[in-house]
Amino acid sequence: MKFECGDLERALAVPELMQEARDHLKNCPACRSELRLWNEISSAAGALHEDWASPELWPRIKSAIAAEPRPRPVWWSDWKVWALAASIIVAAGLLFWLNRAPGTFGPEQAANRDFLTERALQDVEKNEAAYTQAIDRLYQLAQPRLQNARSPLAVNSREKLILLDSAISDVRTNVQQNRFNASLQMELAALYREKERTLQELVTNDRKN
Amino acid sequence: MVWEIGLPQTFAASVPDQPSEDQLIEDCKRGNIRAYERLYEIHAARMKSIAFHMLGDRSDAEDAVQETFLKVYRSVAGFGGQSSLGTWMYRILLNTCYDQGRKKQRLAEGPVSADIPSRSNVPLKIALDRALSRLNERQRTVFLLFEVEGLKHSEIATILEAPEGTCRSWLFEAKRELKRMLMESRS
Ligand SMILES: [Zn+2]
Repeated sequence: MKFECGDLERALAVPELMQEARDHLKNCPACRSELRLWNEISSAAGALHEDWASPELWPRIKSAIAAEPRPRPVWWSDWKVWALAASIIVAAGLLFWLNRAPGTFGPEQAANRDFLTERALQDVEKNEAAYTQAIDRLYQLAQPRLQNARSPLAVNSREKLILLDSAISDVRTNVQQNRFNASLQMELAALYREKERTLQELVTNDRKN
Repeated sequence: MVWEIGLPQTFAASVPDQPSEDQLIEDCKRGNIRAYERLYEIHAARMKSIAFHMLGDRSDAEDAVQETFLKVYRSVAGFGGQSSLGTWMYRILLNTCYDQGRKKQRLAEGPVSADIPSRSNVPLKIALDRALSRLNERQRTVFLLFEVEGLKHSEIATILEAPEGTCRSWLFEAKRELKRMLMESRS
């Protein structure tokens, strides 16, 4: 292939073609000058870096950041936390409904209304399992923040959660021995709701700060 | 040492002078001003220069850098570490400059572009500077990032969210266009 002036740009794009350009460049001042300019562009470019002192800039940025509201905690933007929170609300709603639904404690059970039927018990246990798992997972996620927390509210919440866990564990043992006892199931549900409320309080407080 | 804005002393003091990238991200997410100061130390000079070439004015460039830091502060909680914090910041900076540049252009009611000096003895740096301001946004950006600020092709690809090969070809187009303008001004 005969290399011509018009081929130079292609050769600049594909370095392998530069080999073919050599002979042409020896005899063509126009292409030599074009190639020199091409190389000069890159070598002169570094000098375009614009540098100047800005002693006021960082203090200005710092003040502007200080005037901003504090960023939300990292987990706040985590969709998993919100998904869990949503599932807790749904499960809590179901549990509440089961505890209140008239069918669960119909007139025929009036004599022993403290005892759940097998079917209702299965529903309660299923929903309770989903509810407690969701709360436990939220609890796990909140653990690092809880442990590092220094505010009086966080310290109180931490202690309260320890007490609640201990109470939940006791009631669960009782429930296992007496699965059909509705008041024990309700007591357990109330403890979980308290745990949820405590975690929610922490979340809300974290958001305010 | 001056620690900051309403954060407990223990927290601020836990930030080492040379934190790892992960540590820096975590500290930024916690709103630790020392982490932002570190980011400023690492990136501000380059950010100022990029913004200057995008906006053509030092004061506007400083405003763009400040705006970028605020945007980083506001949105760092959602930063998932898909790229380095630096490349993410440069992307925000460029978008800020594009926005500011467009506003400025609208105010000036027309594109702001300087004529390239036609005398053949004008220093190449000046002629190149003028020619650079006449490139389109995309070509100017890749040329600035690669040739002026020395970023790697892979970093530029991440900043511009484009394939590396595409960025390389934009760079070639930019240089070809600059060469054409400079040759025209010399003839
Ligand atoms: Zn030729």
